[in-house]
Amino acid sequence: MPPRSEASGLVIDDLSRSFGQTRALASATLRLYPGEIHSLVGENGSGKSTLIKILSGVLSPDSGTLIWEGDAPQLGSPSSAQGAGIATVFQETLIVPEMTVRENIYLGTDRIFRYGHRKGEELAGARQALSDLGLDGLDLDRPMWTLSLAERQLTTVARAMIRPWRLLILDEATSALDAQQRDRLFEYLRFAREQGKSVLFTSHRMDEVLGLADRITVLRQGATVGTMPVAQASRRGILSLMSGRADVTDVADVVSAEKGLDRRGESERQQSPPQRPVLRVEELTLRATAKPISLEVRAGKILGLAGLEGQGQVEFVECLCGLRRPADGRALVLNDNGESRSVRGYRAANRMGVRYVPRDRRYEGLFGPLSVFDNFAVTLWSELNQFGLLRRQQARKRYQQFADSSRLVAASPKRPISVLSGGNQQKVLLGRWIAMRPRVLVVNDPLRGVDHNTKEELYRLFRRLAADGVAIVFLSTEIVELLTLTDQIAVFHEGSLVAMLPTEVSSDTDVVAAMFGADRQHDDRQHGGANG
Amino acid sequence: MTDSSPITATDGSLEQAPATGQPGSSTSRKVAAAVAANFTTALPYVLVPVLYVLSLIFIPGYFSKVSIISLLILASLLGLASLGQTMTIIAGGIDLSIPSVIGLSDIIVTQLYYKGWSLPVIFLLIAAIAIVIGAISAISSVLLHVHSLITSFGMSLVVSGIALEFSNGAVTGAVPGWLTSSVSVIGKTGPIPIPSIIIVWAVASVLAVAFMRLTRIGRETYALGANSVAAKMAVVRSTWILIVVFAISALCAAMVGIFFAGYSGIPDPTVGQPYFFLTITAVLIGGTSLLGGRGGYQRTVMGALIVAELTTLLVGVGFNSSFQELALGILVIALCSTYGREIKIAAKI
Repeated sequence: MPPRSEASGLVIDDLSRSFGQTRALASATLRLYPGEIHSLVGENGSGKSTLIKILSGVLSPDSGTLIWEGDAPQLGSPSSAQGAGIATVFQETLIVPEMTVRENIYLGTDRIFRYGHRKGEELAGARQALSDLGLDGLDLDRPMWTLSLAERQLTTVARAMIRPWRLLILDEATSALDAQQRDRLFEYLRFAREQGKSVLFTSHRMDEVLGLADRITVLRQGATVGTMPVAQASRRGILSLMSGRADVTDVADVVSAEKGLDRRGESERQQSPPQRPVLRVEELTLRATAKPISLEVRAGKILGLAGLEGQGQVEFVECLCGLRRPADGRALVLNDNGESRSVRGYRAANRMGVRYVPRDRRYEGLFGPLSVFDNFAVTLWSELNQFGLLRRQQARKRYQQFADSSRLVAASPKRPISVLSGGNQQKVLLGRWIAMRPRVLVVNDPLRGVDHNTKEELYRLFRRLAADGVAIVFLSTEIVELLTLTDQIAVFHEGSLVAMLPTEVSSDTDVVAAMFGADRQHDDRQHGGANG
Repeated sequence: MTDSSPITATDGSLEQAPATGQPGSSTSRKVAAAVAANFTTALPYVLVPVLYVLSLIFIPGYFSKVSIISLLILASLLGLASLGQTMTIIAGGIDLSIPSVIGLSDIIVTQLYYKGWSLPVIFLLIAAIAIVIGAISAISSVLLHVHSLITSFGMSLVVSGIALEFSNGAVTGAVPGWLTSSVSVIGKTGPIPIPSIIIVWAVASVLAVAFMRLTRIGRETYALGANSVAAKMAVVRSTWILIVVFAISALCAAMVGIFFAGYSGIPDPTVGQPYFFLTITAVLIGGTSLLGGRGGYQRTVMGALIVAELTTLLVGVGFNSSFQELALGILVIALCSTYGREIKIAAKI
């Protein structure tokens, strides 16, 4: 490997960045040498994306040192980062669907009055980049929307490649690629390494990390917890660093304490007769390339859904509540007589008792200008009306019931909901459906941005609902939440269900391992391909 | 964090703040903020009497029953035309077809009555046409995923085309005498010495406010306008709501067209043209937000009164119509900027 000096390459020390109360990046440290391929790994929310956004000029750091090629660059905007020789391929495939492949590749290189490049140059450059990626045959004049997801992703890589880069950042840029396309891309990256260029990449596939990187840096909760040469790294070692196995005792204690707390409730539950299934998923296929999913959720049970970003768990939830049609298979809701009806459309699913609490509170849940009461009661009026006239008295009664039982902190139901804390807003959004007696409650990351105490209250709320016989499907990005609350955890990887972990006997390392597609003995739907 | 508003950190605790003995400064700041918030909320209600007093001062001999009645007739026409507009705006849309529906209705009444049709039949026909027009604006907006600004504007062109074709350049028409007296300053409603349009407006206002507050559709209209995505997630009947509010809007416009016919007695397809912007002006001055989900018809009633008073005042002191528009424009901007502020202050307390 080429000689390493601090004067060249990238030096990051103690970099931090907060969003309001949340510290996305607390203390990131990273050394990246010329001629090195470096992998950045960490769980969701560990700060990888924030660090990458800082390096590509999308965000600015709050404090810390960032030195690139010997001096502190002004990375105030994406174009200034590109000017400094840093090109980034982002996680989301950022394309303009109506423009052609060539135009998408040269997007952003135009000057004000004329194109930055002649058309001939552009064609040659684009063709060269795409052929390096194994897309020789791609018609450069095709509109972008006609391309497959993998082709789009490669086009965004090509867009970075045609820039004069000395540091290429790939943020989950391989998620849609098949093995062959991936190998081709890696070949190109290794070739660039020989020329003294640097590559920083993130991937949810452990085999890619171990197969491509020279060194690996692990982030956890916004801080660097270790950097190691790949020769000294093992799959297990990295996973435990990521999940914080060093201080896993704390997490485990919390979890077991939580479980202990819940024992009483559980034993009460056990005394009641075994509940019948209320939700059945039959051979449901999320993507053409994924394996069909079959499972059952019984009344009173909480099924957790886990997975790294974009592995199919969100699509699964959307299929359950009728917002999305599966590629194949179906979801069925069973009524009290055991008759089943398949989920077709959001409204129909809702009528069958599948109530959905979406992920994005502000955009999908809250009616900002309306009062707490109006936000709560909006779903009730379909039941509580007589010839279209509201039965306010009943609605108020239900509100009072709910506010008492959930310990809702709101001085007056007449205040706008926007003055409540995130946790209390979430209570109202849940209450909206709880008051409608759900059969299946599907919640998408409901504890996001909720403070610790309110989280505890919401845990209790979910447990009480389950005890009342509601089946809960609980998607979360926080493994601790899943271990604390659910009965079983379904782990998704690349659109397939790769593991069904009984929470009782599972640890966070088990879940993380399954999220990366690792082998699991509990796993009977074995996921053959991805192994490190 | 995209999901929590910046004020969340202060939640619950701040309600208890005075009781738990916070420093006086923060309490007084809160009081000041509350006063400011209530002041801007109350502003249209304050402006109505203030403008009236100004008219009394600046227009000699203004204090008379005739001048009050004529002011109220003016406000009634605008208020009725803005009734459905308020609802479409609260639902997150806007109805630009009001002037042409007024014109069409004016033509139909004057022409068909002239031809000897019976009045109930004419009214039923107009109502049916209005409902269809409103429904088309709403349904096409939903099906084509186009804002109702565009679909209702398209409908407006279609309807004025039909009105012009139907009037065929006719300059003669007829209206029943009671219709003329219903918008006349000396008109009576039964024994009450007030022209019936004012009574109609008063009754319609009470019904409209009750509709928005006490019915399922009313509440769901606010939800839809506040956040259409969340409304979908809460299974609010978005399409049905839009059809209802746009139909109401067209019905109100049709009613105003009928009154206009009584006013002039001759067919005029362009009679509604000033209402293109005036209805929106009345809604905005009242304090209903164009963003949807916020406001109410009680505020538009004030808005209509303010517009009528301001127009009367400016005419009374001798300003021409171009100056009236200028003044209305300034008033809209000035008032709406204070309403925008009110939201932030209210959120901070």
